[in-house]
Amino acid sequence: MYEFAPVLGSALDRGARPVLRFLHVTLGLSPDHVTWGAFGASLVAAALFATGRTGMALAFMAFGQILDGLDGSIARQYGLASEAGRRLDTALDRASEIAIFCGCALGDLVSLKLAVLASIAVLLLTTIVHRSRLDPGIKRFALYFGIWLPYNLIFSVVFLVNLTAYVVGLLIIDLHFQRRMDQLGGDLNTVASRAVRLETP
Amino acid sequence: MTIVTHVLATTLGVRVLKLTGSDAVLAYAFGVGVDIDHAIKAPFFWRAGLRKERGYYWRTSLQEPVALLWIVPLCFFLGSWIPALFFVIHLAMDYGVSYEKMPWYPYSPVVTQGFLLGVSDKTKEIALMVVLLCTNLLLFLAPL
Repeated sequence: MYEFAPVLGSALDRGARPVLRFLHVTLGLSPDHVTWGAFGASLVAAALFATGRTGMALAFMAFGQILDGLDGSIARQYGLASEAGRRLDTALDRASEIAIFCGCALGDLVSLKLAVLASIAVLLLTTIVHRSRLDPGIKRFALYFGIWLPYNLIFSVVFLVNLTAYVVGLLIIDLHFQRRMDQLGGDLNTVASRAVRLETP
Repeated sequence: MTIVTHVLATTLGVRVLKLTGSDAVLAYAFGVGVDIDHAIKAPFFWRAGLRKERGYYWRTSLQEPVALLWIVPLCFFLGSWIPALFFVIHLAMDYGVSYEKMPWYPYSPVVTQGFLLGVSDKTKEIALMVVLLCTNLLLFLAPL
């Protein structure tokens, strides 16, 4: 969760050590268990959004996000970090967001169109974020502002921010690619073709 | 294609569809404005030692088919198909000339040269420019 802010992540890890010990040593939970727990809390939040209990939904969403932060902390603290765990975390994060966004649409907090568009923008960004390293982090977190602002506005912001980050991310990846192509030197007439080799595992 | 040809095509589209205000702005943004990536690539070209070759990879995914992944959702958001329409016109023109393109990068490293490869780029560019210029002039003199 804090891969883009490692200092913050390690500071939180230190502060949360007793909780991590309780979850992992006392209760015997693995990072994956906590990831699934976070997803379960998000599903409950989605159901509460859908039934119009927004306050409770936000509370469950917050609980889910706290668990979502703890899974990575347990993995780091006890040397259990793995690529499979990271993938599961990302996949369930996106599933949580889509469930919560759909819950908001079912609860008439926002139009279905905006909920779907925000989900698409978040998913698009996820497809490249590991290469672009650009993630504004404005996804379900933005929903807390629904206490003060209309949800249609919040979902529009989520859509536009993530879509913009996607476009900028594509450009960042392109520029990295260009730098590597230029390093190949030689005949620039064929550089795009030769660049295929750079991308072929 | 050159930016002049894109401007002529977009202007023709704007006149034919009678677009005004924000619709016209969207048409020019997606029919011409996406060419801004050439400016983004300029510093790289400069650093590469100004090895001026026709085939320097001047493009980015901003003006490749992969951009439809974000342009189509944007169209739904705006409630207008003008961005997608003018972007597809821009794409069709660019894929009519033979320089190398990476239509699906970063999802695929496939490289293509587009279509109509049997005709020289200069011939296609000049022919299209003349047609667009004449049609624009015609519409200017005798509006729809």
